[in-house]
Amino acid sequence: MKDDEIDDVLTKAARAPYDLKPGMLQRVADSIKPSLRPVRPLPPTWVMAGAMVLVCATVSLAGATRAGFFGFAKMDLLERLLVFPALVFLAWAAASEFVHAMTPGSLRRISPGALLGFGSAALLAVFAFLFRDYQTDHFFSIGIVCLLTGFLHAIPAALLGWLLLRRGFAVNSVSAGLLAGVLGGVAGVGVLELHCPNFQAAHVLVWHTAVVPLTGAAGALVGWTLRFRACSSARERADPK
Amino acid sequence: MHPDSNLVTLMTRYQRGDFSAATDLVERMSPQLHRFFLAQAQSRTDADDLLQETWLRIHKVRHTYRPGEPALPWFYAIARHVRVDHYRKSVRTAVGERQLEAMSKEVATVPKESDHADGLNALLAPLSESQREVIEMLKVAGMSLEEVARATSSSVGSVKQKVHRAYKKLRETMSTAGFRNGQNGGLS
Repeated sequence: MKDDEIDDVLTKAARAPYDLKPGMLQRVADSIKPSLRPVRPLPPTWVMAGAMVLVCATVSLAGATRAGFFGFAKMDLLERLLVFPALVFLAWAAASEFVHAMTPGSLRRISPGALLGFGSAALLAVFAFLFRDYQTDHFFSIGIVCLLTGFLHAIPAALLGWLLLRRGFAVNSVSAGLLAGVLGGVAGVGVLELHCPNFQAAHVLVWHTAVVPLTGAAGALVGWTLRFRACSSARERADPK
Repeated sequence: MHPDSNLVTLMTRYQRGDFSAATDLVERMSPQLHRFFLAQAQSRTDADDLLQETWLRIHKVRHTYRPGEPALPWFYAIARHVRVDHYRKSVRTAVGERQLEAMSKEVATVPKESDHADGLNALLAPLSESQREVIEMLKVAGMSLEEVARATSSSVGSVKQKVHRAYKKLRETMSTAGFRNGQNGGLS
């Protein structure tokens, strides 16, 4: 059989008359009537993504203001010109995809997993290009402090991003959680780049970059937990036993 | 005129609180959404429940539709979410997460009550759940590849691949059954 013939068969079958139970459409229409009020549609993607990038920048600057801009002061012009635009670009990409994840029927340009992978790889490439001091002092003790600092600043950034998009609807809460985590993670890396004066390659490559996958995984876990709880509570409502 | 353009207008009026637009949307979208559910559900009653649940969800999140964007992928993305949620709930109750896949395969291969009532479902019965979903959206809803990609949160390439595999399977099944367009009403 040729594809055209299969097409014809499917089209004919799809055109067959299809009836619903009488009264069902009326019941549906009646159920929405009492709460039918005008609603304000979500703002355009670029507005929401821009707002989230601003939130990330604010969290990063606030964190660095509290801890000190030692990293920024130690950077040369090339480092500043490469690191911060890369972070802004990554934040923009994560924010746009987060908005798409919270808007049903949006066209996804990249999957959340791929964004996490490419984003982490891009950060690694920029850091590997810029930081060439291959000594390692107190690799774990200093590194853990940086990872925790980045993670702790990622939490408010991700929560504020989620708050901005609270009117959205996640068709896949795990993907949405992962993207919120990546967005927060970029804010966390921003704090570290502004604050941390340790430019040893191993330290920056491992502990600074690790903030993004860590927060992405944490976000996905939160999304999965929310979905699991929603399913469980719906099941309990349906079957109280 | 693309079938979606009228839906866009209706959605915009629905967002403004116009009840007649809401009624028109319910009348226009319900049969195809019900058919979408029936292709995956165990029974007509399940499909009825899913349809009602979908409309409640659509009503709740109607502000997430952006005027001017394609409306069909928006409807199907929500319907798909409701359907997946429904399976998750029912499967977790009985047998746990791992058997979701097994159940989906079973649903895809075993003829159901609804198959006898609907020729399209019988035709699509040999397909996997994801292939069936894509073919339903393309052939029943008349969506484009890009719109299907929007509704399923995937890429156009992935949709094309699913369609290609679905057609390959349909070709094999129809050839085995000696199916010829106009000579046979279905596979059964």
